[in-house]
Amino acid sequence: MRSLLSFFAFLFVAAVSAISTTGDRLLVVLDDVTEKAGYSRFFGDLESRGFKLTFETPKSETLALFRLGERAYDHVIVFPSKAKGLGPNLTPNILLDFLNANGNILVTLSSGSTAPNSLVTFLAELDIQLPTERTGLVVDHFNYDSATASDTHDVLVLSPPGSVRPEIKNFFSAGAPADQLLAFPHGMGASLGHGELLAPILRAPRTAYSYNPKEQAEVVDDLFGAGEQLALVSTVQARNSARFALIGSVEMLQDSWFGAEVKKIGATKAVKTFNREFAKRVSGWTFQETGVLRVNWIEHHLNEKSALNESNPAIYRIKNDVTYTISLSEWSWDAWTAFTVPTNDVLQLEFSMLSPFHRVALGFDPSHSTPEAAAYTASIKLPDQHGIFNFKVNYKRPFLTNIEEKNTVSVRHMAHDEWPRSFAISGAWPWIAGIGATVAGWVGFVALWMYSAPPALEKKETKKTQ
Amino acid sequence: MAKSRNVTPAPAAAAAAAAAATTAQPAAPAAPVAATPAKKTTAASKQNWDQLFNNLVSYYQDSTPQRTKLIDAFLAFLAVVGVLQFVYCVLAGNYPFNAFLSGFSATVGQFVLTASLRIQTTEANKADFPSVSPERAFADFVVCSLILHFFCVNFIN
Repeated sequence: MRSLLSFFAFLFVAAVSAISTTGDRLLVVLDDVTEKAGYSRFFGDLESRGFKLTFETPKSETLALFRLGERAYDHVIVFPSKAKGLGPNLTPNILLDFLNANGNILVTLSSGSTAPNSLVTFLAELDIQLPTERTGLVVDHFNYDSATASDTHDVLVLSPPGSVRPEIKNFFSAGAPADQLLAFPHGMGASLGHGELLAPILRAPRTAYSYNPKEQAEVVDDLFGAGEQLALVSTVQARNSARFALIGSVEMLQDSWFGAEVKKIGATKAVKTFNREFAKRVSGWTFQETGVLRVNWIEHHLNEKSALNESNPAIYRIKNDVTYTISLSEWSWDAWTAFTVPTNDVLQLEFSMLSPFHRVALGFDPSHSTPEAAAYTASIKLPDQHGIFNFKVNYKRPFLTNIEEKNTVSVRHMAHDEWPRSFAISGAWPWIAGIGATVAGWVGFVALWMYSAPPALEKKETKKTQ
Repeated sequence: MAKSRNVTPAPAAAAAAAAAATTAQPAAPAAPVAATPAKKTTAASKQNWDQLFNNLVSYYQDSTPQRTKLIDAFLAFLAVVGVLQFVYCVLAGNYPFNAFLSGFSATVGQFVLTASLRIQTTEANKADFPSVSPERAFADFVVCSLILHFFCVNFIN
């Protein structure tokens, strides 16, 4: 009975844990809480994935990201606000502190409202630039939805984005139906800096541009950016693996665009939008539901015939053969899975003292892998240099949790009795023979000296007698 | 015949004289006897290198004590062994360097000890070592050689 109970308890825990790896407390900052009706399917999706949503307005007195020095929420979504600022509870510093405390933030913008000062400053800290007027509109005269924006051309219709680079796993549109398009209505584009933590998900097409509709209603003569300069959906993953995503168009998440039909200019028939799945994947990535890597264990040992072949010894000797194995899992929505390194990418092991002495590829090791964890292994010969070394795995890729694992070991020099004997080295044989010849010659000399009667002695005696 | 000519170089005559004072009995009378005809042979200018070498060898064979000859033979043997080891090191490299050091220094050290033994046991040098008898010198030689061999065998590992 008890085991049955615990079994059900386990099932319950398994069901509940089908959420983010970092927590389920999600704060939604809305200008007006009644607005949430427009996003009911988006919020419904989040709740069905196990998040506990809290809705607040920026002006609310109870809004606080931190409580008694600890994060009060695990994730935050900030919706566009009409207000000029976000108030004293959402200053750029507090938002940055939240990121530094491993909180995740999803920010949405809209061309319909000016971005609050607080957010602009916060984005500038992350090296994301918004137009100086804090508003803008992305239009594209070649990729718009002819059904809803035949005049304004400001509802962009885009195919789901591919990978940023070929060796990076595509989290956001892998497996997308070929006939679905992404609608990006009334959005604002941002321009990204050169920071290595920045990774765009969706860039504007080559024919798009962004301008300020309020000031240039008649003649467009001053663009904020054009073409692929404009990032429509972009991400930042901090060094502590806290995640940030910026969605340029909040309307992407609205019920009306989830499952709506769009008709691209020039196309003959309308197709469904990919927005719902895209919103799920972007929010899921941001809230640590995909692309989260975990190091299960690290093991290194002597790869030699030795009586003492213990795991993870603190000390090795120079020129030892050593095998290093690391086990990695990837959280994918609701379960830990074996992490597979993407093709064309490689997981590397460094053996370093200040600078790496070895940098080798870690290969998949099926014998230590399970469906939940993949083991990667490499065998190296330690360098001919004693000192304090680190086994280091430094794997930082866009959209994947940073892995930086250091295991320190001492490498000692050879003990005096560990060198090979001279007779084991064929190069030393001539000199061994030299000693042998010298000693043998000496023994013969001494024998001859002692047992040869010197005739001089007799003559000496005879001389004496004479 | 050879004996009559071999005295011509002055140092050889001096050495012969020194040797005559102590051990080499046959050489002692030869030196004064041969002194007069030596001038004749130089005057005849028939001397060549071949004869000089023959003179040296025969004089050495006649006037050197047998134990000194034994020492010289051993020294020559050690020189050959040492040169062979050094040539091998130059040609084949010094990879187990301790082995080279050990083998070469064993030979060189033995050469030095043996040369010391020769100096101490030569009758001509007796005045320089009044307190060292030939037996004492030999005992020193044996002990030092054993220490040398012990060290070298340990060092070659």
